[in-house]
Amino acid sequence: MKKNIKYLYIIIFLLVGILTSCGNENDNENKLLYWSSNNPYEIEFAKYIVNKWNKENPDKAFIKFQPVPEGQSSEEIILAAVVGETTPDIYSSMWQGDVEAYAQAGVVIPFDTLDGFIDFIYERCDSSVVDEMRSQDGHIYQIPWKINPIMMIYNQNIFRELGLNNPPHTYSDYLAASELFKKDVDGDGYVDRWFGYSEVIVTWWQRFFDFYPFYLAASGGAPLIENNKAVFNNEHAIGVFSFLKKLYDNEYFTRERLSARQDVFLSSHIATRFTGPWEIVHAEKFKPEGFEYDFSTIPVPDGFEGPIYTYGDPKNIVIFNTCKDPQYAWEFIKFMISKENDLKLLEITSQLPRRKQIDADSLFTNYFNANPKMIKFAKQSKYVKGTDSTPVLKEVFDLISQEYEACVIYGVKSPEQAINDAAHAVNLLFIK
Amino acid sequence: MKKKVVPYLLVSPYIIHFLIFIAFPVIFSIVLTFHKWNIISPMEYTGFANYIRLFQDTLFLKSIINTLIFLVIHIPLQIIVALFLAEVLNQKIFLRGFFRAAFFLPVVVSGVVVTILWQQLYGFDTGLLNKILVTLGFGKVGWLIDPKIAMPSIAIMATWKNVGLYIVLFLVGLQTVPKHYYEAADLEGATHWQKFFKITLPMINPTIFLVVILSTVGGFSLFIEPYILTGGGPLNSTLSAVLYIYKQAFFYYHMGYSATLGLFFALIILSVVIIQKKFIEREV
Amino acid sequence: MKKAIFYLVLVFGALMFLYPFLWMITASLVPESDISSFSIIPSTISFNSYTQMFDKIPIGRALLNSILVASSVTAGVLVFGSMVGYALSRLEFKGRNLIFYVIIFTMTLPFQITLIPQYIIMVKLGWIDTYLALIVPYLMNALSIIMFRQYFKSIPQDLIDAARIDGCTELGIIFRILWPNAIPALVTVGIITFMASWNEVLWPLIVIRDEELMTMPQLVTLFVLGGRAESQLGVKLASATILALPIVLAYLFFQKYFIQSMASTGIKE
Repeated sequence: MKKNIKYLYIIIFLLVGILTSCGNENDNENKLLYWSSNNPYEIEFAKYIVNKWNKENPDKAFIKFQPVPEGQSSEEIILAAVVGETTPDIYSSMWQGDVEAYAQAGVVIPFDTLDGFIDFIYERCDSSVVDEMRSQDGHIYQIPWKINPIMMIYNQNIFRELGLNNPPHTYSDYLAASELFKKDVDGDGYVDRWFGYSEVIVTWWQRFFDFYPFYLAASGGAPLIENNKAVFNNEHAIGVFSFLKKLYDNEYFTRERLSARQDVFLSSHIATRFTGPWEIVHAEKFKPEGFEYDFSTIPVPDGFEGPIYTYGDPKNIVIFNTCKDPQYAWEFIKFMISKENDLKLLEITSQLPRRKQIDADSLFTNYFNANPKMIKFAKQSKYVKGTDSTPVLKEVFDLISQEYEACVIYGVKSPEQAINDAAHAVNLLFIK
Repeated sequence: MKKKVVPYLLVSPYIIHFLIFIAFPVIFSIVLTFHKWNIISPMEYTGFANYIRLFQDTLFLKSIINTLIFLVIHIPLQIIVALFLAEVLNQKIFLRGFFRAAFFLPVVVSGVVVTILWQQLYGFDTGLLNKILVTLGFGKVGWLIDPKIAMPSIAIMATWKNVGLYIVLFLVGLQTVPKHYYEAADLEGATHWQKFFKITLPMINPTIFLVVILSTVGGFSLFIEPYILTGGGPLNSTLSAVLYIYKQAFFYYHMGYSATLGLFFALIILSVVIIQKKFIEREV
Repeated sequence: MKKAIFYLVLVFGALMFLYPFLWMITASLVPESDISSFSIIPSTISFNSYTQMFDKIPIGRALLNSILVASSVTAGVLVFGSMVGYALSRLEFKGRNLIFYVIIFTMTLPFQITLIPQYIIMVKLGWIDTYLALIVPYLMNALSIIMFRQYFKSIPQDLIDAARIDGCTELGIIFRILWPNAIPALVTVGIITFMASWNEVLWPLIVIRDEELMTMPQLVTLFVLGGRAESQLGVKLASATILALPIVLAYLFFQKYFIQSMASTGIKE
């Protein structure tokens, strides 16, 4: 009798054993795991690079590639992977705002301890960019790989119809153009053509595509947080909220979540949106015939002068401490971000490598000639900001986002009140 | 000797499972509520700080109220619709099996699919429901964008998803009502509605209470619908308690605080269920 | 006249429940530009949405994962559930009632309490991104134990005694004597467990990050919410259709059992 039950247990343990061995497949000694972002074009680029490397180096360890398994945002996934010690060896879509915390926790590997890094990085980047990468302890834990400046994309066909010769430069221009375009096309008594759209959900990083670039533009690149204190309680932030609020109040923007629909920009239901250069590849792939579009700077307050800043959305490369052979991982990264492959990145994904004087380099000339739209981004890349260095950046953006929804989208708060409340709530974060 | 060991061997899988996946987590959860922990760094003892924060957290209060709003709309709606359709299906009807199967279909389909579908139906500008309303001469409804209507919309969707199950439960209940009750009523010339309220309803009371309990427990765990449809918005009006607890834990990694919220919310659920059970025992 | 109203109500009702599914299938089968918000008659058939989706996500692998996970869980629940249910209903031992009440109590315990610690256990065991995390916590299920206990009580004692005299072991009694006589209970518990496991999303979202190990509902949820569908509605709906298909097919074939099983979960309480 007892024997019988024993057999059952043995079977169970065997089953468990088989299942475990399936699950741990990727822990193979001779493999390096590389995670890219899960943007389809970056996946294409990563596949290209990994295949090329594996083919050219058959005697070396195999690089296994996978896009980061994305939930609501890749940052959450990375944090979860760090906690579960299931990090990849190499990750190429690291958000700058997270690196300092990981460096302090000893989860990422300092590049400057690897052979050939220092020479390489100064060859590739301006020294100011290298300084920006340096952590508080003096080490460099991340390689600046690429940026995606957020700019305004606009539908040229629509602008021509509206008789606009130039894209709206200031708030007033933008509002005037909005009024011209707003329309109830199907005649059901509701506006169904809006001048722009911004994702309405409150998730903190959505504000990288509306409030934050507008704030950077209006303030000439001012920080949100300085010395553990909110410094955004100012005319610029209030101005941005008032402007954006008008867009919703006047039905120039819709409160509906249009991302659940088909692409509304390509179907001309909206005329502008705020986005990065990745939009070019997407538009080229899916645009209807005759559809023309271009990019311009983020609208600024009336009478604004000086360079117009925007959010750069920098993405960097790190090696996690779960990597068994960091030197080898670095060799691969060096290959991935070589000049030739930077060009390939630009060609496949339309994202800008963070490489010095890219618009003047002869290797890239052909590309920019063939892709004039990208020159705008290359030029804008001189005036981009990343994020402020604070361990609670997500909470900061979340608090701003809550007030953004209440004030800008639903208008239940005045801009002054909303910004004031947000700043107050943010300061409470630093007290503890 | 042998005989005494056998039963324990047979239940041992349950005991092991219980200790690892229920007893330990419950204790650990309680310990966690006295700590601040983001998983990466070591736990930090904070005394009652999490509890103090909980009682000041208006957003958590809102999320509980939201969940209650959901229940208050969802449960009666579910019972009325299910009872109505069950009553109709209980007649001698052509293609009865087909209709029952149709009503039951959403029950077996993943909530993910249902939510994706309703996201389209609820679209303000191009959604089918608003198209129908406009065609009929009514105004559009901001199903998911009006803070007052978003939660009722989710309740309607949940009703659509689950009602098939309750129709079947009611059908079983209706069949237990003895036929001669109706025959006697017919002799006295009772109308259809009189029969329904005087005979049917009292007879299937137990089923109704069962439905109430089942949908209360299910409704408290409202998560995937707002997670996909609205992310908790607009203006946090669809932020359910579970979604908020999930966000605290897996968006911000406030593990200690999230455990505190979870514990507190679990106590609320337990007391509601106990009150309902008491009430039912008295009634039935 | 009265009949006519009845049928009108019924047809309208059935339409309300079927129309969205028909629309979804249609929308996933027409070219992206032809998707309308109401039509259920495809203008032209195009499998473009499906080929794009198969290109973008490993949905086939996810299907296999879902089958593996749901089958393992169901097998475990049937075996363990009947073992415990048998002990609780047909054997005398100290602590039997205590265990029974503990099981009843755990049924009322909201999962919110155990969610985070269970996640931590998975992390500490190194089970994040393994099938184990998806299967092991679900191998035991209070409802199934109760249902087996209830059903086994109704089986005549003579049957068990006869088996004992033949020298049958206790496990032999469960699997060779009771199981053949408890087909309805097995079917009911099997269907409920399989469906619950198949449709589970919250837990996979928490413990699985590796795309290769994701079950279908998780993969589809992330696909629809994330950026990889490239704002193509047809592709999203194609993934939802594929997610719904297996269970709907199973439902169409075993409709009677599905409905009975789901209904009996409520009645047995």
